[in-house]
Amino acid sequence: MSTDIQQYLLDFDKNRKEATATAQRSATRLQNNDLKLLRLIEELGEFFNSEDGTTRSRAMSYLAEVLSSVPQKVLSLQQRNLLCDFVLSRIEDSEGLGFCAKALSALEERGKWDQDRVVAILEAFLTHTHPLRQYKQQSERYPVLHLIDTLIAKYRDALRVHHDETPDFLSRFILYFDGEKDPRNLMVVFSILKVPMTEWQIGADAQQLFDAVFNYFPITFRPPPDDPYGITAQDLKNRLRDCISSTADFAPYAFPSLLDKLDSTSMNTKRDVLQTITAAVTEYGPRTVSLYSITLWDALKFEILNVQEEDLAEEALVGLAAIARTLSQGTSGPLNAYLRPIIKECNEHLEDAPTKQSQASARILNKIADVSADVTNTLLAGILPNLFLLFQTAETMAKKRGLLEVLVQLISANIDVYGDWRSIGGAGEQPPPNALAQFREQALEIMLTGLENAPIKEVSFRLVCLDGLLQLSKTRQLLTDEDIGRIIQLFHTIIIQEEAYGKDEVKDAATNGLVEIAHQKPQVVIDKAFPAFLAKLPDFDNGQDASYIQVLEAFAKLAGEEKVFDTVILRLKNKFSAAVAQGASSAYIVALLSAMLYALNRGSSKLEESPETSPYYQDIVLPLLERTASPDVSHPKAFDKDKTLDLVGRICGIIIRSQSVEQQNQTSKELYTLFRGTPQNELPPFSKTLTIEQSRTMIVSTHLLASFRREAALPCEVDLLISSLVDFSQQPNLSGPVRSASLRQISLLINKYITTPGLKTCMDPLIDSPVDLFNIEKLDASRIRITFACLKALVLRNSTALSKLYPRLLSFLSHPTYGSMVAHGFTTLLQPDDLLTKANYCQISGLHKQKTFALLVPSITQAFKDATPDTKPNYLIALSGILRWMPFEIVVEEVAQLVLPLLQSLDLKGEDLVKEAAIATLTSILKERPNTLEQHTGSLINRLLDNSTISGKRIGATPTTPPRVRAAALRGLESLPTQFRVDIVLPYRRQVVKKLTAALDDSKREVRYAAVKCRNAWLLVDEVGDDD
Amino acid sequence: MEDDKQNANPTILNPSDLPSRHREAVAKKREDGGTGLFDDLIPAYNYLNDPFEQSYSSSDSDDGSVEDIDEQEIYDLISSISDPEHPLSLGSLAVVNLPDIFIQPPQSPHSSISTVLVEITPTITHCSLATVIGLGVRVRLEQALPPRFRIDVRIKKGTHSTDEAVNKQLGDKERVAAALENGTLMGVIRKMLVTCE
Repeated sequence: MSTDIQQYLLDFDKNRKEATATAQRSATRLQNNDLKLLRLIEELGEFFNSEDGTTRSRAMSYLAEVLSSVPQKVLSLQQRNLLCDFVLSRIEDSEGLGFCAKALSALEERGKWDQDRVVAILEAFLTHTHPLRQYKQQSERYPVLHLIDTLIAKYRDALRVHHDETPDFLSRFILYFDGEKDPRNLMVVFSILKVPMTEWQIGADAQQLFDAVFNYFPITFRPPPDDPYGITAQDLKNRLRDCISSTADFAPYAFPSLLDKLDSTSMNTKRDVLQTITAAVTEYGPRTVSLYSITLWDALKFEILNVQEEDLAEEALVGLAAIARTLSQGTSGPLNAYLRPIIKECNEHLEDAPTKQSQASARILNKIADVSADVTNTLLAGILPNLFLLFQTAETMAKKRGLLEVLVQLISANIDVYGDWRSIGGAGEQPPPNALAQFREQALEIMLTGLENAPIKEVSFRLVCLDGLLQLSKTRQLLTDEDIGRIIQLFHTIIIQEEAYGKDEVKDAATNGLVEIAHQKPQVVIDKAFPAFLAKLPDFDNGQDASYIQVLEAFAKLAGEEKVFDTVILRLKNKFSAAVAQGASSAYIVALLSAMLYALNRGSSKLEESPETSPYYQDIVLPLLERTASPDVSHPKAFDKDKTLDLVGRICGIIIRSQSVEQQNQTSKELYTLFRGTPQNELPPFSKTLTIEQSRTMIVSTHLLASFRREAALPCEVDLLISSLVDFSQQPNLSGPVRSASLRQISLLINKYITTPGLKTCMDPLIDSPVDLFNIEKLDASRIRITFACLKALVLRNSTALSKLYPRLLSFLSHPTYGSMVAHGFTTLLQPDDLLTKANYCQISGLHKQKTFALLVPSITQAFKDATPDTKPNYLIALSGILRWMPFEIVVEEVAQLVLPLLQSLDLKGEDLVKEAAIATLTSILKERPNTLEQHTGSLINRLLDNSTISGKRIGATPTTPPRVRAAALRGLESLPTQFRVDIVLPYRRQVVKKLTAALDDSKREVRYAAVKCRNAWLLVDEVGDDD
Repeated sequence: MEDDKQNANPTILNPSDLPSRHREAVAKKREDGGTGLFDDLIPAYNYLNDPFEQSYSSSDSDDGSVEDIDEQEIYDLISSISDPEHPLSLGSLAVVNLPDIFIQPPQSPHSSISTVLVEITPTITHCSLATVIGLGVRVRLEQALPPRFRIDVRIKKGTHSTDEAVNKQLGDKERVAAALENGTLMGVIRKMLVTCE
């Protein structure tokens, strides 16, 4: 019988798994005492004495595998010591070093060593295998490094003591790893060396130790594409950086070497240097950093003053701030010494503001001032006196603007340190006195004066003043409420009184500023700004002067701040009541309602918080509904307009929506009566003998119905209600909006109030007898509308009924009279809707678009192929109606079938929406699946070109192509050259570039803009080719 | 690299101060003086619009009015060109300025030829890159304007030490054509035009 070792050696090359199993078997036998350790060693002896190095090495491999398979506590201390000595004696052999290390690691895992043994093992390696690089195989070196890493991690004291007692140890130790190149091994080497760096007295060996790691800087390693070890360059960089920043003893070598490498032309190297400097100054401590701080400043500032790459400037700023942060931990002397040249240099750059370098100075100051209260105060004291002096003597607005930009940066850093009124800053709850306090009057005055007195066309200057004032007002405990009041006053004066200029950036900024101040100091804003705003809003207007609009806009925006939300709503409501009482113009009343709706939308989260206690139902909803329904004087003339009633409905809806079912039931039983005391059956939709005025309240009812929860009680049986609405909506004399409102009510009811089992009993009488919607003999405009209203409700809840209904609907597309109208209806199915939403408790399935796409699009493309020429357009219209709202991820499934119909859609006449949708889909296909379009390149280019000019090539053809389609065609054409291969596009280049000159002379600016971009893209075509 | 720059620390204009089309247009458009904040309250796709009627009309803003190519449009075309030295636009460096752009309408009723004159202002008077900038502006306009425009790019008088010589170069058709054959030069110009919108 062959021994295990023989079997192992036999299997080693052929079947490594089998060999390992053999070793495990030996381990089990050892454990069960079937095999004596002594016997095992004896058996091995013969192979260790072999002439053949490979055999010796594999024998050690066997031993290592056996040892790592033996369970804990099987081997006694004495046995382990014996084994250890035995293995150590083998490392002089040049073969099998890796396995020796593995065997030792296995032994170590099975029992802690004493200090002497640890030292002996390490010394044995250093003596017999120095330098490690003589072993060529990574797999041999790695176990050794792994073992040493374990030793140094677990026996820190032993090795440190050994280092202290042995003068040349560290030097030998460092050199041992010299020349390692494998990234996996380097990760371990860095980890090993970091221990002496951080924990040992390295004294004279500091430079050698530093060089041992810095030799690898910068890491340029790029892992192979399918690297199984998963070590990235970033992993190595991080470990190397940890080493360099591990001890202040490295500073004399690290900083000069790093700064030297900062001159590199490689951006990656520079990035690495900057990050390493930041790590080093953070770790080295204030005493060391103080020695290099000014040198570092002199080097790093160039990265910011002359930006090469934005992210390098950002890294350099982080580095400068890190220096200040470290120095802040020490005494004030070094910190001031560091800040002094910075202050000096920045002051110099301020002299010729606004320049690239004055902007850079502002960035530097902002970033450093952020560090601590001490730093920010020192910088303020050093910069601001000079800044104010320069400001007084500045001759141009541009210079003043440049100076204020710096001031604003300093104030905003001050907020970071000292906090704002609502939150404390980085300096904590009890910061030292804020140096900004000494300058606040001066800063406040120049910016107030600047904003107030500068000519209106000095937009950027005024914007800076405004921003500065805003920052001042936010700074914690800096300004008095009175001063903040002055700022507020100036802001609202700008909003209210200033005439419009340009893009109104200053007015916008003032409004937004006011909202921000309202967040900090709500009461001051209410006291100061609100009366001013309200004074500008008349109770009565003559309909001539609409200057109230911009005041209302600003006032409504304030509602976005929760602390003033209630007050804004209250004031608007009072204003509205007064305006109605005084008989103000309809335009003004509409504007007030719009402002109220805007404010409610802004603060809708606040409404949802406490619907139970909200006063808005009593204060706003009920009065509005009464005004809507009442025939007497409380009903303003404006309420006779559909648009006004729509606003009223929306305002009521948003308030009712968050109420409880019980609260909603009070309104729901008055859904159509609207608290007017008339019996329901005399009102729409139950009575048909109504005037246009009487039916108009349906618009408000629609919004109420939309806002109810599904559990809310309806004023009558839902089936009766639906059939009443179906009859009502078919009356010929209804106004368009009222008809749309009634149809939307049908959608809401079917979506929200019909249970899934009840759907069939609800739909059957509609689809077939008695209503007969799907009877082709009875098709007409109002029935088609009802059909799509019903389907819309079903589409959103992803009803299974659709699979039966869609085929019948599609068959109508070939109808000679109504086919076209049915085709246009398809766009309504998926069109976004503001009433059928989840917020309105509708049933909306996440997959409804997929489902409709799957049920309709393949059928339409198939039917399109078989359709007669005169009905083909109907299929294209229906298709575009679906595709228009479809996310491209869904469309992409059927792209191949869609290309031809889409291209033909571009030839349709007078169907501009269809064309626009088709171009949009084709453009998406171009971007995501260009290969499906490649074979149609010529026809695609020609059709897009045809649509890029008013009448295409068919001169005199009417109707003309509208600008939106022209621009869309050009945008589609623009993406073509980058999406197709050059050799496909190149043959068309000449022709396209030439034909596009026509679009360059389009009568509309929007089209010309698209034409320029498109032509540019095509002009680049052969230039790309040249590069290849 | 930094030392090679002819003007390492140029003055920069703030984007808010650059001329833009919105200036006059907005105030005119909205008679009530508002910003249109409340226009979005009613979503575009709301139930009051009847999709069946909407799609029959051409539903577009094509009111037949003509928006002529004006100085602002020329400015928008060239102000976004990058300076060859700095990652900044010619507009923010005030190399091109709206008041220095002139459009001359056709001289006679029989002609359709208009002329665009652009005067550029180098950041410093001895800037050797002025010719390159001029060429860049020229190339951009030739690509972006319809052929009925003649393009004339010059250095603004008194802003450059050798403005006449540069103008001669920029005005000489053959020299311009020759320059554009030069691969290195075209490379620089292409890079300048990358930022154009």
